[in-house]
Amino acid sequence: MRYFLRRIGFFLATLWAAVTLNFIIPRLQPGDPAEIMFKKLQGRDAELDPAKIEALRAMLGDPAGKNLWEQYWNYLGSLSRGELGLSYTYFPYDVATVIGVALPWTLVLVGTTLLISFVVGTLLGAFAAWRRNTRFDSIVTLGSTFIGTLPAFWLALLILFAFGYVLGWFPTAGGYDASTPGWNAEFIGDAIYHSILPASVLLITGPIGWILGMRNTMIMNLGEDYVRLARAKGVPDTQIALRYAARNALLPSITGLALALGSMLGGQILIEQVFDYPGLGRLTAQAIDNKDYPLLQALLLFTIVGVLLANLIADMLYGILDPRARKAQS
Amino acid sequence: MALLEVKNLGVRYEPRLHKPVQAVDDVSFEIAEGEFVGLIGESGSGKSTLANALLRLVERPGRISGGSIVFDGNDLATMTQDELRPYRWRDISTVFQSSMNALNPVVRVVDQFRDAIELHSDLRGDAVVDRVRQLFGMVMIEEKFLTAYPHELSGGMKQRINLALALVNKPRFVLLDEPTTGLDVVVQRSILEAVRTLQAEQKFAVLFISHDMGTVLDLSDRILVMYAGRIVEEHDSADLMRNPLHPYSKGLLGSYGDPRAQTVRITYVPGRPPDLTREHAGCLFAPRCPERIDRCLSVEPELLAVDGARVACHVAQLQAEPEDGVEVPARSAKFAGPEFVKSDDESKEALSQHAFLTLSDVSKTYRTRNGFTFSDFTAVDDVAFELRRGAVTALVGQSGSGKSTLAKLITGVEKPTAGTIMFHTREGRAIDVVGLRPGQLRDYRSKVQMVFQDPYSSLNPTKTLGYILSRPLRNFLGLSGEALKQRVEELLEKVALTPASRYRNRYAYELSGGQRQRVVIARALASNPELIVADEPISSLDVSIRAEILELLHDLVQESDVGILYITHDLLSARMLADEIIVLSQGRVVEQGRALTVIRDPSDDYTRKLLDAIPNPFDKLDRPA
Amino acid sequence: MSTGVTQPTDSSNLPVGGEELAAAEAEAVEAAGPRWWSIIWANRKARVGIVILGLYILLGVFAPWIAPYEGTRTDFEALLEPSAEHWLGTTTSGGDIASQLIWGTRVSLLVGLFGGLFATIIALVVGMISGYFEGTWIDEVLSFVTNVALVVPILPLIITLMAYTEDRSIWFTIFVIAITSWAGAARAKRSQIITLRNRDFVTAAKFSGDRSWTIVFREIMPSMSSLIMAGFFGAATGAVGAEAGLSFLGLGDTSSVSWGTMLYQANQQGALAQGLWIWLFVPGLALAILITAFTFVNFGIDLLSNPHLREDG
Repeated sequence: MRYFLRRIGFFLATLWAAVTLNFIIPRLQPGDPAEIMFKKLQGRDAELDPAKIEALRAMLGDPAGKNLWEQYWNYLGSLSRGELGLSYTYFPYDVATVIGVALPWTLVLVGTTLLISFVVGTLLGAFAAWRRNTRFDSIVTLGSTFIGTLPAFWLALLILFAFGYVLGWFPTAGGYDASTPGWNAEFIGDAIYHSILPASVLLITGPIGWILGMRNTMIMNLGEDYVRLARAKGVPDTQIALRYAARNALLPSITGLALALGSMLGGQILIEQVFDYPGLGRLTAQAIDNKDYPLLQALLLFTIVGVLLANLIADMLYGILDPRARKAQS
Repeated sequence: MALLEVKNLGVRYEPRLHKPVQAVDDVSFEIAEGEFVGLIGESGSGKSTLANALLRLVERPGRISGGSIVFDGNDLATMTQDELRPYRWRDISTVFQSSMNALNPVVRVVDQFRDAIELHSDLRGDAVVDRVRQLFGMVMIEEKFLTAYPHELSGGMKQRINLALALVNKPRFVLLDEPTTGLDVVVQRSILEAVRTLQAEQKFAVLFISHDMGTVLDLSDRILVMYAGRIVEEHDSADLMRNPLHPYSKGLLGSYGDPRAQTVRITYVPGRPPDLTREHAGCLFAPRCPERIDRCLSVEPELLAVDGARVACHVAQLQAEPEDGVEVPARSAKFAGPEFVKSDDESKEALSQHAFLTLSDVSKTYRTRNGFTFSDFTAVDDVAFELRRGAVTALVGQSGSGKSTLAKLITGVEKPTAGTIMFHTREGRAIDVVGLRPGQLRDYRSKVQMVFQDPYSSLNPTKTLGYILSRPLRNFLGLSGEALKQRVEELLEKVALTPASRYRNRYAYELSGGQRQRVVIARALASNPELIVADEPISSLDVSIRAEILELLHDLVQESDVGILYITHDLLSARMLADEIIVLSQGRVVEQGRALTVIRDPSDDYTRKLLDAIPNPFDKLDRPA
Repeated sequence: MSTGVTQPTDSSNLPVGGEELAAAEAEAVEAAGPRWWSIIWANRKARVGIVILGLYILLGVFAPWIAPYEGTRTDFEALLEPSAEHWLGTTTSGGDIASQLIWGTRVSLLVGLFGGLFATIIALVVGMISGYFEGTWIDEVLSFVTNVALVVPILPLIITLMAYTEDRSIWFTIFVIAITSWAGAARAKRSQIITLRNRDFVTAAKFSGDRSWTIVFREIMPSMSSLIMAGFFGAATGAVGAEAGLSFLGLGDTSSVSWGTMLYQANQQGALAQGLWIWLFVPGLALAILITAFTFVNFGIDLLSNPHLREDG
């Protein structure tokens, strides 16, 4: 039980740290953050909408004339009410709405490809470890090492260039076109068609971490004494591979899953930018271009909280599956 | 026909980046149905490789390079893994070393029995659990541990369960590979008793592999002695003790002595085992052998029958069948090499010396936080004793008895919760160890030095011996330049690492275990200390060279007026080195007195229990047959 | 003397066979040169990595002499085909692709070197302090900070930090990358220092009168060198990739040319639609080869800390 309480405690503490970090970042520059931002925005928009100024103030916890503590309390208060401010890019929508529109695109794309990558990568890694030093192993290991060195967004550019522009097999931008969003076959088919190129990039780069990670842990486990004992017991090879080595090697991968989600969401920003895909990544790129700070901050907070939640779930799962974890941490 | 016939077996390691090693070379022996055979070998003898070969578990870059392993008429050495599977665990099972994780850490114990049972029998479901229950009863483990995970069990319990697991399918042959190494003596004893009883009942054949002759001789009908990948002697146990033939066997036996004797003598084998990656001619033991003749240096001896045993030694063979013109030493059961002697008279004299460290009513309680609650654990409970200049005091106890905590308190690493520790220097200054501030502690440590258990971890692998020895000289004595260099060489020579100039620039990994421990002792001597705390300094060394280190420590006490606090779990070695013995149990002193008195006439039950647990090959001889 | 008994081994004259062998072994080790270098060099991948890295460093250092033009010049005719004057042609805005590529090497190497260096230093300081004071409140705080930094997704954080800054010099990029990407390495160093700290040789050094800092730097650090090296190359790989990604989002240093900014401009100025594949292809390839070199060198370093791997080649 103590293990689980500790993990929840860590989650809450990290959550607080992330929220506070989000509060601190705009204030890192010298001077009044609101003033600086107004100046930046004024340079861009000839005339500044008073509503936009209000939105900015709200995001910053109404800095005018208040000390840092009061600003912090205001910020926490509006955060707890779900008020993240208004987006300038999609003015006058509030950022939560804007994120809500983009979220499903990223969630479905990243979720599906992460899961497929995990399964495929783990299987390939386990099999490579089992057939260690064979041709299969060296092809898989060298292949993943090689692909792992390619910058994912460059790979995305090449794939888009080849299949989108040169061959013209797939659309070059967007998440859908002619159809109207909704639960109809036409739209879903359209969305899938648009997602094939971005998904292929994620599916090429995604499994690499799992392949190499699983191969290493599995090789280590195959050298463990209990695996040798299983051999001495006469347990058939396939059972040794699956029930002894692979099973135990899978455990650390579970916690890795949450961390992978974090790095995938990061990489997603670049890939959505390449494919002009209407998810959180493209939204981030737009926010950067438009200096849409409320949106940018909300996106950061949103990503962090998502990853923290995933991490918490993974920790809980690990605690249930590995009896040693419960013991070691208590 | 024997159950197991091993003929000319060889195992070779061929790593890509190192020279190949013939780890097991031309090994032949037989084991009959129901026979208990012991195999003795020290580190690097190839005994574990042989065990792996018998189980067909040798992995790349190793391989069986030749010979056969005929089990019940079929050669295991040439079978495929699939052909082998029906034999595994039904006919042949094993218990690994206790330090190993033989049990899968994430699977409940009962399920680890289940696959072994279901693979080789028709039992299913509840019948399986009943069988496991029955086995738990045999090794005296409570049933509630059926559903435990391995990390919830103690080391002794794990080994009992491993033993039960080995017997699950009533095998005909069980290989025990150092099954009790690293466990406490009393636990070790109880597991060996279980092995003895179960073997007597179920009549399976056993090959018991160990580095410790004491534990093996007691149980075995017959002994194989292994050295440098070869069997050098095969002999009935009782007869081996009376008439060992190979000088190495004599050396191994010589490292045991009777602790009850007025004067104890134990021998040791000088030098180190050969490097098997090098070409060699003649007998591999010759460089360390006190009986060697010229032939030993050029002709490799074969394992031949001599007096009802088999031995691979020219001298022993010539003694049995003399050849004209070849002179050999007269046959002797005693190892003709160096000997370490300790007499009770020395102890009497040493105990008349002045006390220089006094512990009064010392207690140490550790507090551990468990969430919001605290729990207290008393490691040392109201302990009082004195240490004398020029005397060795042994602190004897099992792990958890508080002996290591006492070492920390005496060296000032930790502070006691209650009590006083006073140190009186040679100059007559009194130091209150408990009240030392961090700055003063450094000064105090120039007077109190440590020798550690594991010479592999107590020497920094990235530093030369010269650097390691120079630190205390520089820090405490302020030496530098030529004087420093000279003193380093003196220290190396003092611990017999000669010529010193050749060792100064060496790294610890280039030395043998015994040599490393010499360096550790030299470092402890560097600051001219008054007290040396030696924490199990010989327990990680090969049995045949232990006395060498004991002798070195003994000579130090004789030559300079240092006192030694010798911390050990082993009463025999305590008797060998110490003048006074203090027995600790659960943080309390249960017995204290002159070494021989404690051994001969223990007043406490716990001391008696420890004494009984000492593996002594000669016990068997003492008992009326 | 044809036959007869040789002298029994005398205990005072210990150096018999075994010791002679030991000394001979030691001499053989010394003759082979520094051990770590020969282990790394013996690995083919590591050798390839070192050679490629060496070529990149030469290219970066001698860029002004090797490159035909300044990397920032954009006054050429746009969209020229590859020729003797313009080896890889020109961009839509009239930049020489070959020159941009060669000058870009400098940025990537600089970011890799200093990003890796700073991240390693932060990881080292945090990991060492945390590990050395294991169990105290200092460790609790530092471990918590490390764990937070580990779970927080790095790229979104870097992007947000960069987006607030107007002055995006290379040094600021390096700084931001370094302060966000040290956590994994810090954790590895912490656990290694805990194992090392509990080794007897550290206790022995205390008994030899060495002070804490002497122990940390002279006893513990040398045993960690391969981990530190591996951490450096890992961090350098990450930094090079992160810089390229940031530049691709338009968050790079605008006053110099990097491979990331080349790709940013190519993407922004429609290189894909116009089929300008050279512009698209070469910066990414250069990046991929550099990262491959880092990875290969790290294979060699892994061999130092993990002798088991040496058998696999």
